[in-house]
Amino acid sequence: MKLQLDRVIIRDVRFGATTAIHDGALHVDRSALQYLLLQDKRFAAVDIELAHPGEKCRITKVLDVIEPRAKTSEGDEDFPGAVGGQVPAGRGSTCVLEGAAVVLSDYREKVESGRSMDPNGEIIDMSGPGAEAGRYGKTHNVVLLPTPAEGVNTHEYLAASKIAGLMAAAYLARAGKGMTPDRTETLELPSLMATDKALAGLPRVVYIFQILTTQFDPIPGEPVLYGMNVPGMVPTLLHPNEVIDGALTSPLPALNVQTYQVQNHPIIKELYARHGKDLFFAGVIASTAPNNMAEIERMSNMAATMARYVVGAQGAILTKTGGGAPELTMARTAQRCERLGIRTTLAVLHMAADVRGEVTLFSMPEVDAIVSLGVPFTRVTLPAVERVIGRQHAVPGAPPIDGEIVRTENGVRGIHCQLGSSRIRAVKY
Amino acid sequence: MIRVALYLNQFFGGVGGEDKADLAPRLTEEIVGPAKAFRAALGDRGEVVATVICGDNYFAENIEGASKEVKELLAPYRPDLLFAGPVFNAGRYGIACGAVCKMAQTDLKIPAITGMYRENPGVDLYRKDVYIVETGDTARSMADVVKRMTTLAWKLLAGDKMGNPADEGYFSRGWLTNEASEKTGAERAVDMLLHKLRGEPFESEVPRPAYDRVKPAPAIKDLRSATIALVTDGGLVPKGNPDKIEVTAATRFGIYDITDKDRLDPNGYDVNHGGYDSVLVRQDPNRLVPVDVMRELEKKGVIGTLHNRFYSTTGLACIVEVMKKIGQAIAEDLKREGVSGVLLTST
Repeated sequence: MKLQLDRVIIRDVRFGATTAIHDGALHVDRSALQYLLLQDKRFAAVDIELAHPGEKCRITKVLDVIEPRAKTSEGDEDFPGAVGGQVPAGRGSTCVLEGAAVVLSDYREKVESGRSMDPNGEIIDMSGPGAEAGRYGKTHNVVLLPTPAEGVNTHEYLAASKIAGLMAAAYLARAGKGMTPDRTETLELPSLMATDKALAGLPRVVYIFQILTTQFDPIPGEPVLYGMNVPGMVPTLLHPNEVIDGALTSPLPALNVQTYQVQNHPIIKELYARHGKDLFFAGVIASTAPNNMAEIERMSNMAATMARYVVGAQGAILTKTGGGAPELTMARTAQRCERLGIRTTLAVLHMAADVRGEVTLFSMPEVDAIVSLGVPFTRVTLPAVERVIGRQHAVPGAPPIDGEIVRTENGVRGIHCQLGSSRIRAVKY
Repeated sequence: MIRVALYLNQFFGGVGGEDKADLAPRLTEEIVGPAKAFRAALGDRGEVVATVICGDNYFAENIEGASKEVKELLAPYRPDLLFAGPVFNAGRYGIACGAVCKMAQTDLKIPAITGMYRENPGVDLYRKDVYIVETGDTARSMADVVKRMTTLAWKLLAGDKMGNPADEGYFSRGWLTNEASEKTGAERAVDMLLHKLRGEPFESEVPRPAYDRVKPAPAIKDLRSATIALVTDGGLVPKGNPDKIEVTAATRFGIYDITDKDRLDPNGYDVNHGGYDSVLVRQDPNRLVPVDVMRELEKKGVIGTLHNRFYSTTGLACIVEVMKKIGQAIAEDLKREGVSGVLLTST
């Protein structure tokens, strides 16, 4: 399967009469985009704002971040199943607006009780330490602020918002169609049956990608894999091109993994870079983190069996999603792989870290190669801003959200990444 | 000039061997034993103003009392810094040095450093509290160890950022800190896997934890006469969270009365936990703390009685040591109340 990514570099974003790219500046026709998104009757309104790197601006209640991408090859569809029709992702060509991002902000007036510990949710800062450390303070952001229609419940609102984000991402990237890209990237892997001499001696490496956790209630109707939410999914073999080309999104609440990171998946990127030199990239096994032991065992055994006896892998990289609990499924899967003779390496953001003691929830002798992606609970002080995009909720005893605030790093979208895109690692002192 | 205090055992203090192990702490202003090496390492920046010498058994038999005695001997000298040992592989001496350093930090409010061999029991007991320089198992390397302890001391006194354990040569104190690495996590993960696949040496960035094994208590012989209590880490609290249990990294737990209650009323309770979807529990708290079912079992005589109070804390991103203490405190209360068994519900 062969995919060509045509990268158009975006250096500015502004509102304009028509949506188009001029000299690296993305012009956005605000009312056309609003009109498009309001076709979804689950919204009463969709406000759109722009945020620029360096601006003293804070975006609140960020749900997800998506890179603008549109298919440019004949017969292909954007985000198949979620926005476009059901066709395979990962082939043909795709226009990528590099340096731009669609930011989804929860714009409901009422604060949802439940998971979030701060009513202003996870934020993005466009300048200062939050922007330096985070990925999305460096992108030119088109922020969507959808207001739910009367009677729309939380799940419906969140599913609709995710779809709106994907639609906007495809809409904006269509402006890059027909332009000469700044950079072109070709991603191609032979089939698993390939017998090229160059590949013969290389170890087969599979990536076991935990795409969702059922520790939080999955949102019905949220497009996760080809338009469907898939909490009951069994391990599924995917081509890496499908993952990065719109088949997959990061399910909400997207804890330390946004759809943007999936589209720019750092492990897939690295395995591609080493393919044909150090290893044979033998595909992606998408799996989930169930919330009970029987299903964890089932998932782990199925994934390890698929890796060993279907893919024929000698090595596997594993990552996790969600909070602390999914560590167990990742570790159990690695252990099952090791017992079948597959060498494994895990990457862990220490969501379950006891900063004064142990770093992982599991302790298995076979699971002996772990990369640290850092502790998400380190505090960061963020200076006051001049402008806030998104809802602002007052918290008794806390400074207003446009003032100087203190957040744990995982409260700022894009500082940490459970897929390994950051350089942060935790060291024990 | 930095005023330095030193702690030594009877052997290194030159008083005697095992026969003097019961010696009570005594103070000297003279330069004895390792004090000479410290004097050399300190140069003209510091001087050893007082040395306390204490027998190993005396200290080991009464750690708290002996620490206090050492403190009282040293306080009048107003030291700026304390060194203990170095210990090498002497077990009781290691525990004493760890305790004295901890005392110096908390009571005298000064930096304190000791040095030990990795297998010394003092390392595991005190590494989280104090800087322990790693040494060999014999005193042959005394001069070198003293030099390294002194280097670390200058850093602590200056308030400089401490280097990482491997570079500075001390035992990790267990503090997790984020640092920037040259490569991304993804690049390091693929590197590590390739080393492993090639049979080359590799180093995990995360050591394997050594979790305690908990031996289950013997089974209850006769449930019909047993008192059963309900305990949860699912964060169920009465409305308003009266005990102010933290939503993450909890340090508190609550005990809540259920006398005469056949079931928990959803209007009376809240869930103070962000690590799971708590909608169902908010709708019916009995599904987390099953008072309704337990009352039925009580009426039917399947169990003797349901203990009239339930225990609750929030198990989310917690510190193991703190949770151990919470567990012990709950267990002590249960024991005091004559509870024979617990139904522990987690989320």
